[in-house]
Formats: sequence, structure tokens, C-alpha cells
Amino acid sequence: MMNNHTAIIVPVYNEAEVIGGVIKSLLKHFRYVICVNDGSKDNSSREILKTKAYLINHSINMGQGAALQTGMEFARLLPVDYFITFDADGQHDIKDVMNMLGELQKNKYDIILGSRFLGHTAGINKMKIRTLKLAVKFSNLTTGLKLTDTHNGLRAFNRHVAETMRITMPDMAHASEILGIIAKNKFRYKEMPVTIKYTEYSKRKGQSVTNAVNIAFDIILGKLKK
Amino acid sequence: MIIRIFLILSAIVFLIFGIASNQGNSSKAWRKILFFILAILEVIAVIFPELTTDVANLFGVGRGTDLLLYFLTVAFTSYALIDYSHRQSSRKELYELARKVALLEAYTRYRIKKE
Repeated sequence: MMNNHTAIIVPVYNEAEVIGGVIKSLLKHFRYVICVNDGSKDNSSREILKTKAYLINHSINMGQGAALQTGMEFARLLPVDYFITFDADGQHDIKDVMNMLGELQKNKYDIILGSRFLGHTAGINKMKIRTLKLAVKFSNLTTGLKLTDTHNGLRAFNRHVAETMRITMPDMAHASEILGIIAKNKFRYKEMPVTIKYTEYSKRKGQSVTNAVNIAFDIILGKLKK
Repeated sequence: MIIRIFLILSAIVFLIFGIASNQGNSSKAWRKILFFILAILEVIAVIFPELTTDVANLFGVGRGTDLLLYFLTVAFTSYALIDYSHRQSSRKELYELARKVALLEAYTRYRIKKE
């Protein structure tokens, strides 16, 4: 059955190899797939144009957080009630999206967050787990939320959240910023287990562990500025 | 002696460029005054180097060169910080602009009316 009331927002940066396939599998279930090409240096935008997904083109690379914000601003104008953020590298499972949407509608949550550590994660290395867990502790401490995974790209939320959200952190620090927004606005949130497929491709593309240091600094500096 | 001439000339050039830069912003006025004072101080320090040691002693620093070094360190650090925050804010403006362009282009492509 085609889902006409949900917008899938996919930030894309140099994903020409896989983006076509990811979009195709999303379009089987969702009418509104919005790809924000974040100044890719490869043929990502051409690959997106070949499909029926919406393409929004950043002319410069501004980071995943900025791409999500752009996608959200576009998606708000579509006749949809629900919004999904979905990574472009094909590591998320559409079944998880369906589960999250079901829970969001049934129990009237504002936002559902995907968690790797509640679900099954294939092929992740130990160092990455350790870094992620450290990020979780740090984030729970600063936001006061209780989560098991704070840097997961899969999220489902309602229009109220989409209208409220304003992501200003351009890069990976946006994940923490979103949690801050959830805490501040007292959104009803829930974590649900999601499966992440760490393929060779996604590992090659994924965030490096050293980037955690950058994220921590961004958060601290962001807090100081406020 | 040659170095003195060179330093005084550089102070004059510095002054001319600092004051002549016409960016039409009134908040730049105090900066021009600062440029002026700095250039004068530089010329004085070049002509009477022993004066810097007197000033250093006033602050409990042994030599004028040391005082200049400390001053330079503080000046450089604050410059780096101010420059960093300036660049952050102009980056933010650039991103806003790029987002607007991207959205306008997409609205046109998909014929979406933005109220």
C-alpha cells in the first residue's frame, strides 16, 4: 500500500553508487521521498533526477544537519502529516520505518528515534561501539533524556516537531542538537530498535571515530554561545 | 638605523591602509582610532626603544622586548578568536543563502507555491 502522508527526508553526499537503489526501494512504499543533495562531487544529483524522488540541490557542501534542515523546510509544504529522516547509504531498513510510523500514530508520540543498541546491528566494530556509547552518556547527561543511541540517522516525527525543529549545527553535531530540541520542547519521545546494516560501503563512508572529538567540541561551544 | 626607517615606513603604510579603508560602517570608526594610536606607539617605540623597558618595569616585567612579546601573544590570540567567530557567523549567512537558493530552485522545479 502506498503511503501518501509521510515525507522521507534523505540527506545525500557523494552517494551516486547506491542512492538510486535506496530511492527505488523507498518509492515502492512512499510517495514523497525528498533527497537533499549536499553539494556532492559525484553524480548523485543526476542519479536522483532519474527517479521520481524530489531533488533539492545545495550548491555547496554544508553538512548533514544543514541538509536535514533544508529537507524539512521543503517537506513542510507537502500535504504530509509525518516525517522520516533516512540515511542515504542504504544502512536503514524500511521495515523499521514502518514500525516507527505505526507506533508514532498509534500512541501519539511526537518523535520516535531509532536505536542500534536496542536492535540488531551487523558488522560494527568495537571501537565504534565504545565511541557511540560514550557519546550516549555525554548526551544523556547534557540533555536529561534517557536514550541508548544518540547518533542514529533514522527518526520519525509529526508535523508539530517538523514545524518546531530548527537545526543550526551543520555537521554531525546536529544529532545532539535535535536531542536538545526534544528536551527543551518536552516532546513525547520513544526509542525503537532498528537494524543497521554496516556494509563495506557504509563503513567506508561512515563517520570516523575521531570525529567524536569534533562533535563534543561543537556541543560545548554551542552551549557556551547560548 | 636602516631597520628604524623600515619600521617607521611600515607604520605609516599601516596607518594609511587602516584609516583609508572605506567600508562605510560607522562601527569601524573606533577601529580607525585604534589603528592611529597603535601606529603612533609603534613609531615612538622605534625611535625611543628604551621607553618600552620603562613601561615594562612599570608592569613588573624586566625588559621591553618581553613586554612586547606578551602583548603580541595576547593580541594574536584575541585576533584569532575574533576572526573565528566572524567566520562562523559569515558561514551561517552563507548557508542560509545557499538553502534559500536550493529551496527556490526546487519550488520552481516542482511547481510548489510557498505562501
